Amino acid sequence: MLWIALHLPALSLESFAATLGAARQALPLALLQGTRIAAVNGVAAQLGVQPGFKRATALALAPQLRFGQADAARDAQALRAVAHAALAFTPLVTLDTSAGQPCVLLEVQGSLRYFGGLAALQRRLRAALLPLGFGCRMASASTALGAALLARWRTGFELGAQAQDRGRLGTLLDEVPVVLLGAGQTHHEALRAMGLHTLGDLRRLPRGGLARRFGEALLAELDRARGDAPDPREPVVPPPVFDEGCELFERADNSATLMHGAGLLLARLVAWARARQGRVGGFTLALHHEARHRGDDSVPERTELRLALAAASNDPAHLQLLLRERLARLALPAPTLALHLHCDELQHGAAPHGELFPTAASAQEGLLRLIERLQARLGPQQVLQPLPCEDHRPERSTHWQPVRPPGRTRAAAAAPAVLQPLTRPVWLLLQPQPLPERQSRPLLDGRPLQLLAGPERIESGWWDGAPAARDYFVAQAHDGALVWLYRARLPLAQQEGWFLHGRFG
Amino acid sequence: METLPAGVPLPAPETLHPALWRAHQLGRGREAAVPTGFAALDAELPGGGWPRRVLTELLLPHAGVGEMRLLAPALAAISTAAPPAPRSLMLFDPPSPPCAMALAPLGVDPQALIVVYGRDGAHGARHLLYSADLLWALEQALKSGQVGAVLAWLPARLRADALRRLQLAAQAHDGPVFLFRDIEVRMRPSPAPLRLALHSAGADGLGLQLLKRRGPVLARPLRLALPPVLAPLPRARAEAVQCLAQAMQGAAAAAAGAARHTVAALPG
Repeated sequence: MLWIALHLPALSLESFAATLGAARQALPLALLQGTRIAAVNGVAAQLGVQPGFKRATALALAPQLRFGQADAARDAQALRAVAHAALAFTPLVTLDTSAGQPCVLLEVQGSLRYFGGLAALQRRLRAALLPLGFGCRMASASTALGAALLARWRTGFELGAQAQDRGRLGTLLDEVPVVLLGAGQTHHEALRAMGLHTLGDLRRLPRGGLARRFGEALLAELDRARGDAPDPREPVVPPPVFDEGCELFERADNSATLMHGAGLLLARLVAWARARQGRVGGFTLALHHEARHRGDDSVPERTELRLALAAASNDPAHLQLLLRERLARLALPAPTLALHLHCDELQHGAAPHGELFPTAASAQEGLLRLIERLQARLGPQQVLQPLPCEDHRPERSTHWQPVRPPGRTRAAAAAPAVLQPLTRPVWLLLQPQPLPERQSRPLLDGRPLQLLAGPERIESGWWDGAPAARDYFVAQAHDGALVWLYRARLPLAQQEGWFLHGRFG
Repeated sequence: METLPAGVPLPAPETLHPALWRAHQLGRGREAAVPTGFAALDAELPGGGWPRRVLTELLLPHAGVGEMRLLAPALAAISTAAPPAPRSLMLFDPPSPPCAMALAPLGVDPQALIVVYGRDGAHGARHLLYSADLLWALEQALKSGQVGAVLAWLPARLRADALRRLQLAAQAHDGPVFLFRDIEVRMRPSPAPLRLALHSAGADGLGLQLLKRRGPVLARPLRLALPPVLAPLPRARAEAVQCLAQAMQGAAAAAAGAARHTVAALPG
């Protein structure tokens, strides 16, 4: 067994600060638990604010200090996101929150060969955690609890002999402060009074007496850390539906501020999708509005933004780009306080290949991404592709639909018949334009049209409510351009006379 | 120059660098152009076809003078190219939805078409002011470099920097870019290195004037025979009618005087 422990020392503060912009993160921040400060960021620590201070004390030291409330649910959510990101590297990931210091543990023995060794795997792991925005300390050891203890203790245990050698791990663990043990924390005062500071001090005492005084839990934890006792763990399983929210620290009244929070949720969404071995096909972002503006009925409680992707993707940059385009288009009815991201559209299947040189597949993907961006900003109804239909009526022979990813239809499409004579105009008017007539000859722009070819009779559609009975002619306008016009025939046609229907472009 | 011995001839500038040519020669692009499919036109275009990675402006009096039939051979070559990929054709704000049944006989694969409308432009309706969304979309398509050919119908009133932005974006686009604009902008400057004015020249014919190209000025207009819509018999009739009309028009104009003449010459 080879375990990597990820210790997140500033998880609660970072999960709070993540929704703020970069400029706001440079301010001194502190998290309040009740009336006392639970965590401070680096700027606040430089001003002398420390965890455990009362609110008033901290404000006296740093009047510009900004406060947030500690939130256990938010921390748990953030920890889950880290676990999801870690699931891309191994199927066995567990959480360890003993001693009040959250840790994510990964068993990576089986993944070493695939990722090219422990050092390479840790590099990739750090890169995968980067978008989530948490600082972490890593340690590797041959037992889960041993790795967690080393990671909580100090840096410098990423690689080393303790990763494989249990004897070396035992020597190192003897140095670990006893307060880092879960059970050690409850008896911290008593242990310190007895002069027991490290795990080594504990181990040298008789086991029977130790168990009587402090309970079996302390000894059991010690044994598990050293590998003398089995340590079964519950693996993290990603939920089938992604459903997470985040509260914005400041109310957002433009899309740029919204993107800070939405970017965070998207990073978690991608981590979840990767853990589920799938790609995101679409998601819904709900914006919860401020209650004060909800007094009048015109302001809805929430605005929902549905984003469907033409081709499922796992690329956070691409998803952010699409969302930014959509948000830029959105007119916010009221300032937003919270965001909620829901995704149940996960597409499984073989991942697309990465290509070194451009190929047909990569070109197709690039085109799809372009189309998605256009559709995100302009709307799907503005980016269309033709679908030929079997119908004699020219206005119905081409059906326009939003562009979809090419399926088998494209491959099965017949080669264009080059030998057919050209009988239809390229530009077909949406509404046939009625033409005035003089001495039974149609006029275009006040000049008579010269009929050159025809008639071609099209009579169809009596069964579907749009009957057409027309005689089509090709005619020449006064400047020589060819136009396509028809004469509606009685008695089916509502209107009679000449109509311009197309231009030969 | 003094270092060269007297007897050695100077190397021709066009052999030194693709961006160099003499004023009486046609310029050459760095990349092969897309053949137009009309030998007479290829001979007059720098590089022997529609240039890639730059804008090409086509100025028309109105939609439907034969512009699509002019571009059809090049578009057909792009849309049905051999693997790696037949590439797509993107149309931005066309005057009306193109008819797939008309494109297939011209060799253009209708499956390759993608039509994009600006958000505020109603389908098919022309609008005088430019739509910011449409220009954005056009720029994105050019910058992505994933589209085979881009055809855009731009309104007459366009800020000068909009075209310059498009020209810059087009450098990433490995294919021709056709901008269709109204003939009234022919006197306005444009960053496009190739500008053509199109007008109808009889049935199934297209008159074409090169307003700007990398090379000497071509004063005489070209006349191209387009892929025919008409059978030979009606076309002969159409030509006869056209000749007659022109003769009558000339006679009438001569009789009526200058004011009348202007009215008759106005299109429409």
